[in-house]
Amino acid sequence: MSDHFWRQALAVARRDLDRERHSGEVAWVTIPFGAIALLLVPLAVGINQDVLERIGTGMLFVVVMLFGVLTAVRRTNIETPAQRDAIALLGVDPVAEFTGKSMATAVLLLVFEVVMGAVAVALYGLDLSGWGWMVLVMPLTAIGLAELGTLSGAIAASVQAGPALVPLLVTPLAVPLLLGATQTVESIGGDGGNLSWLILMVIVVLVLAIVGVITARPLQETR
Amino acid sequence: MTSRRRPSWLDIAAVVAVVGALVFAMTSPRVEAQGDSARMLFIHVPTIWLAYLAFAVTFIASIAYLVTKKLNWDLIAGSSAEIGVVFTTVAIIGGMIWGKATWNVYWTWDARLTLTAIMLFVYIGYLALRRAIPDPEARARRSSVLGILGLVQLIPVHFSVTWWRTLHQTNTFRPRDIQMDGPILAALLISVAAFTVVYVALLRHRYELAQLDLAAHEAAAATEGPVAGDAVSAPSIGSSGA
Repeated sequence: MSDHFWRQALAVARRDLDRERHSGEVAWVTIPFGAIALLLVPLAVGINQDVLERIGTGMLFVVVMLFGVLTAVRRTNIETPAQRDAIALLGVDPVAEFTGKSMATAVLLLVFEVVMGAVAVALYGLDLSGWGWMVLVMPLTAIGLAELGTLSGAIAASVQAGPALVPLLVTPLAVPLLLGATQTVESIGGDGGNLSWLILMVIVVLVLAIVGVITARPLQETR
Repeated sequence: MTSRRRPSWLDIAAVVAVVGALVFAMTSPRVEAQGDSARMLFIHVPTIWLAYLAFAVTFIASIAYLVTKKLNWDLIAGSSAEIGVVFTTVAIIGGMIWGKATWNVYWTWDARLTLTAIMLFVYIGYLALRRAIPDPEARARRSSVLGILGLVQLIPVHFSVTWWRTLHQTNTFRPRDIQMDGPILAALLISVAAFTVVYVALLRHRYELAQLDLAAHEAAAATEGPVAGDAVSAPSIGSSGA
């Protein structure tokens, strides 16, 4: 891929991150909302510390997935049809646009994951041994969710029922990522099974990237 | 006056195949450990096989559409997904009935069961997307992407029984490790073949319906579209009486 491609991708990513800097949607809405969700779980299932420690990692990734889906979808749905047309007319490579949007969303999701992880550790008293794997798990989850959100946003762009439809499209497809993330952490200290789950996540991320790259142009033509 | 179409040879073959499969299923030897509830196997395995087949056809037809841009491929993809959703639902319900008889619960948090239910939602989303986009070209391009993405979900569903080793039995068809009596295996294979013929017949009918839908859409678009200037009316000059 040429320098020109990466310049376009980085410009798209920078634009999306600038939007977040101005609106503060993730920082001031999504993160507090996710934290409330993590706070509500013990109220619903009981405050038994053993139970909370056991379900903590799973709850963390459920919250990351559901709220991450909202973030990813929101990032891709803020463009108006006129803005999308302008980008197409300017000759922005659709693959560069997909890459740039996914990069920006992945950065925001990673921030969201780190904050939620800290909240989960504080609230549920999670055991931090073996959390070094999170250095791999969290970016992979963020990238996978970002790719899915960008793809689904493009699929449902300009569709009247789009905002309601996209979470239905993204959430079931994100299940392999959720499984990979939780099982990698759960199987730490076992028979090395966590590596298999990590490989599953890498495969899903790669498949999503390939589908995104292949379908970027046809999807841009229908907007 | 309405005209009724004669059933095709494929329809007749589907009916004969299902009747034949039913006869084999009901006359196959009784499994002592599970009693007659084990006969659910002859419905459950073929329906989930059909779900896999239908979604695989959706995947292949979606790729074919993106490569050729021929709408017929999209119609096949959509038709197959509809059949897949119906058969996945039947497979889940059949599995639940069998589960109640065998495990004494309708639902258990088994990996295969849970992931199959999630797979169902992937394709319900696919069908919802198709309904939300009236333009055939836009619908085809967008849903074909989702038809390809759906395969991501099929992989964990298929391998779930191996990865987790949970309550659900491992894959029924393992050529190197067949643990089924000959007559039961024969009845099961006949049932799978019969359901496959049913799938082909249903796909053909649904595809024909989709073609008619497309033709109706194109006819409506050709006659009902607004013409530039329709909203402009000529000013009436000198009619005010002033």
